[in-house]
Amino acid sequence: MPARPLNRICYVEDDEDIQRIVRMSLERVGKMTVAVVGDPTQAIAMITEFNPDLVMLDWMMPVMDGPTLFRQLKLRPETSALPVVFITARASQPDLDELKTLGAAGTISKPFSPKDLPDQLRAIWAALP
Amino acid sequence: MNHTTTASSTDPGLEASKQAVEAEIRDRADPRQVLADRVAQLYRQMPIAIGATFVAGAIATFELQGRWLKELVLIWWALVVTFTAAASLLLYAYSRSPDKVGTAPQWLRWVGIAALGNGASWGLAGGVFFRSLSDEQQVFLAFLFAGMASVGIPVYAASWPIFALYAAGILGPFFYVLLTFGNRLFVEIALLVPLFYAINVAIAYRLTQVFHSGYQLRHAYGKLTHDHRQLNQRLEKQLVEIEEARRQVEASGRKLALFAERAPIAVLELQPDGTVVEVNHAAEILFGYAANELVGGSVKKLVLPHVHDEFNGTWQQLVSSRESLAGLKIRNARRDGIELVCEWTVTPLVNFQKEVIAVIAQGRDVTAQLEAERMKKEFTSTLSHELRTPLTSIIGSLQLINSGVMGEVDKEIGELTMVAERNGQRLLDLINDILDIEKIESGKLSLSPEIMPVDELVREAVVLNKAFGERFQVRFQAHGDAPERKVHADRKRLLQVMTNLLSNAAKFSSEGAVVDIATEDAGPNVRVSVHDRGSGIPEAFRTRIFGRFTQADSTATRQKGGSGLGLAICKRLVELMRGRIGFDDRPGGGTTFWFELPRRTA
Repeated sequence: MPARPLNRICYVEDDEDIQRIVRMSLERVGKMTVAVVGDPTQAIAMITEFNPDLVMLDWMMPVMDGPTLFRQLKLRPETSALPVVFITARASQPDLDELKTLGAAGTISKPFSPKDLPDQLRAIWAALP
Repeated sequence: MNHTTTASSTDPGLEASKQAVEAEIRDRADPRQVLADRVAQLYRQMPIAIGATFVAGAIATFELQGRWLKELVLIWWALVVTFTAAASLLLYAYSRSPDKVGTAPQWLRWVGIAALGNGASWGLAGGVFFRSLSDEQQVFLAFLFAGMASVGIPVYAASWPIFALYAAGILGPFFYVLLTFGNRLFVEIALLVPLFYAINVAIAYRLTQVFHSGYQLRHAYGKLTHDHRQLNQRLEKQLVEIEEARRQVEASGRKLALFAERAPIAVLELQPDGTVVEVNHAAEILFGYAANELVGGSVKKLVLPHVHDEFNGTWQQLVSSRESLAGLKIRNARRDGIELVCEWTVTPLVNFQKEVIAVIAQGRDVTAQLEAERMKKEFTSTLSHELRTPLTSIIGSLQLINSGVMGEVDKEIGELTMVAERNGQRLLDLINDILDIEKIESGKLSLSPEIMPVDELVREAVVLNKAFGERFQVRFQAHGDAPERKVHADRKRLLQVMTNLLSNAAKFSSEGAVVDIATEDAGPNVRVSVHDRGSGIPEAFRTRIFGRFTQADSTATRQKGGSGLGLAICKRLVELMRGRIGFDDRPGGGTTFWFELPRRTA
């Protein structure tokens, strides 16, 4: 379990409504600091700049999907150590297993409950080494 | 100039082989039949013997009766008549005999006795009368004896020993009388008698041999003819059977050809090297080629060029393994270049030497079917993603409002947002249920089973569904505390089963009711029962309660929610975990839904 509490979250998601709900949930319920990126191709620049504790990725996005972005993050030394959590409405068990072996910290399935989302993230955070 | 000697009957080798063949043929004759024929021959000659004896005896009696031995001659005549009468009786008896073959040896003996008696009666005449006769009468008698003896040869030719007895009966006493007469001439004549006797017996012997051999051949050929006729009949019968078999083969061949010709699937007959031998009408239509455009060419004409390598490998494997392949999907090419995916069943035909002589390929176009499967998958995926994403926003927004983190809202507005959230959740549950059923039925649901205590799971389910129960003012009460009762199950999916059973119980119980949940051992299984105090399951609904989209009363769906898929999902999930599910009427009203899973000790 990391020494500091979970505070800074960067969320990559193309759907603006979900962006808004997640932001409100994490800020209002979870009292966290949130940066949201709508365009996955801008994500790496934003993540590098924002320097989050944890990154949340949507699975299905146009132009670049979550797993692709995840693999790019893993290739960069400055982002490779960041814990990454996937938020997804679909994804078969083999897909999820593959992400786990690649080093994803966890997955949260859509639809999620905004009341419970901060606690779910904190549980994943607590399970990290 | 050389003469080439032609093989003739004088060729010793050929002669020997002819004799061997004849001997072999003769050996086929039944000896009993041959003997019977000889006996019949003897009896056929018997009237001559009887007649000759009677006439000669009468003449002799007439010639001798004027002498002083008149009475003796008459007695002799009576003896001759008696003998001829006895011989006639014997002949009559033989002619009436029903089994001339089986009793042949016996009839032969009787002929022998009759012949000996006949001969002896003449011998008696010689022995008794000869000395006292005049010279002329002696010449008469000697002539008579010689004649009677020689007549015996044709009469008894079929059995030389009988002739020998007969002639000995005549000539024995005569020989003795001549030898002891005291006259040198008579002694010399007497010495000639055995010589003539021997010659006559020898002739009789030869004749017997000829008769015997003749009868043997007759029977052998008779048997051969019989065998031949039988063989012929058998051959004829076999010919008829072969003809019948040929007709049947031809008919079934025609039937098969008709099957192939009229079949709605493409049928191709191929050589082991892949050359097309025959195609049916369906194949012509499917691929757009006329039969004569395909026959004689390689079947690869019908396979997309860029999968030829793969096809070659499959074909090699097929021909070398000689085992048929089913469900083989091959990307085929139509004449107009359009790609088809066909599912093939290919069967190598193997002869007795285990060589592949032909390959029969039956194929049908599954392009549309595959497209339909793809579309179904795409639809499921759309349902899963495109419906759930907006629902995430709807339910999420409402939850944020209803949870109060966005600040207090007006009471009535709050009630409406609660209704909106609850119904959003209901819609989501329905989508999830449909996706679950689809996943289970397409075999895509993967379980992550673990060994877990049942009681713990039941308590967890009760906690999770407490709020739902409160909505219907129903309380869940778990009984039993046996942590050693463990099952091997997927925790999440078993909780889903429990949630379904508990929410059903809550929905169909009256306000203020208690739903009891019990765990107990049931043989090798652990049984979890959910007892409600509802109105029970209507009779007409019992058989289809675990079916899809079923609810006893469709108005209940609107009032209480639920997709009608819950129990169908429960049944399939429990069965996937090697368990079973069912329900019973509860004594005192209500229903007990239960499921059982195999108990695990580890």
